[in-house]
Amino acid sequence: MDILVVDDSKIMRIILQRAIRQAGYRGLNVCEAENGVQALEKLREGKPKLILSDWNMPEMSGLEFLKQVRETEAKLPFGFVTTECSSEMRALAMSSGATFLLSKPFSPEDIQEALTRILD
Amino acid sequence: METVVSQDTVVEIVESIFSTMLEIDVSLSDSAHSPSGERMTSTVYLEGDWNGAVSLECNRSQACQFAGRFLATDPPPAVDDDVKDALGELVNMIGGNIKSVLTKETRLSMPSVIDGHDYELRICGSHSRDVSAFQFFGGTFWVTILDECSSRTN
Repeated sequence: MDILVVDDSKIMRIILQRAIRQAGYRGLNVCEAENGVQALEKLREGKPKLILSDWNMPEMSGLEFLKQVRETEAKLPFGFVTTECSSEMRALAMSSGATFLLSKPFSPEDIQEALTRILD
Repeated sequence: METVVSQDTVVEIVESIFSTMLEIDVSLSDSAHSPSGERMTSTVYLEGDWNGAVSLECNRSQACQFAGRFLATDPPPAVDDDVKDALGELVNMIGGNIKSVLTKETRLSMPSVIDGHDYELRICGSHSRDVSAFQFFGGTFWVTILDECSSRTN
């Protein structure tokens, strides 16, 4: 598993998968989870190079998911892809250990720039 | 009555989302609010210093077109889970971006999606609404801001 995409919206998971391919990372193994609980289970199976997570999700919010990830993985790159794009939410994300926050709507170039910084 | 969010802000947000995520150019229209027949409505609720809701109303064909653009495929022939998901994601993005221009003490709900025929959506407690009509190649759809507490925030 290279990238773990966590979003309760199936259509957004598809869009992110496509955006990752369009950004030139066609060979990567991208796994999906519908929420933080599922994602934590996936992380027990293996550690990705990057997590892309929504913020507002049922079962466990993206912020809570991030905090649980940080309990064991201090440096694992973690990016939010979310509509929560206010300066306050951005500050909260970063102070909680997020690597970056990408706001929706995003362009393929936005995804490419974020991935390049982490994966190259 | 004008809600706490200006129409200019709503238009900017909606145009940006449709252009960036769907590659669909939309523009403000002066069409009257007249949804009828088989249609779909997706809604998110905002709660906190400002309480309200944001809804997106369109017909089923338009919803299928939005889903097709999201998926980069032909529009699904009928409303399915992907279409509902797409409509929920669109209003989630609109609501989330509106939230970002409001006070920080505002929370955004998960989206809900209604698919039906000749229904009326009533948000209990709301007492002002701003309806913006948008036009694109598939017709007109509407984005509504429902304000439950304009007297406190204005």
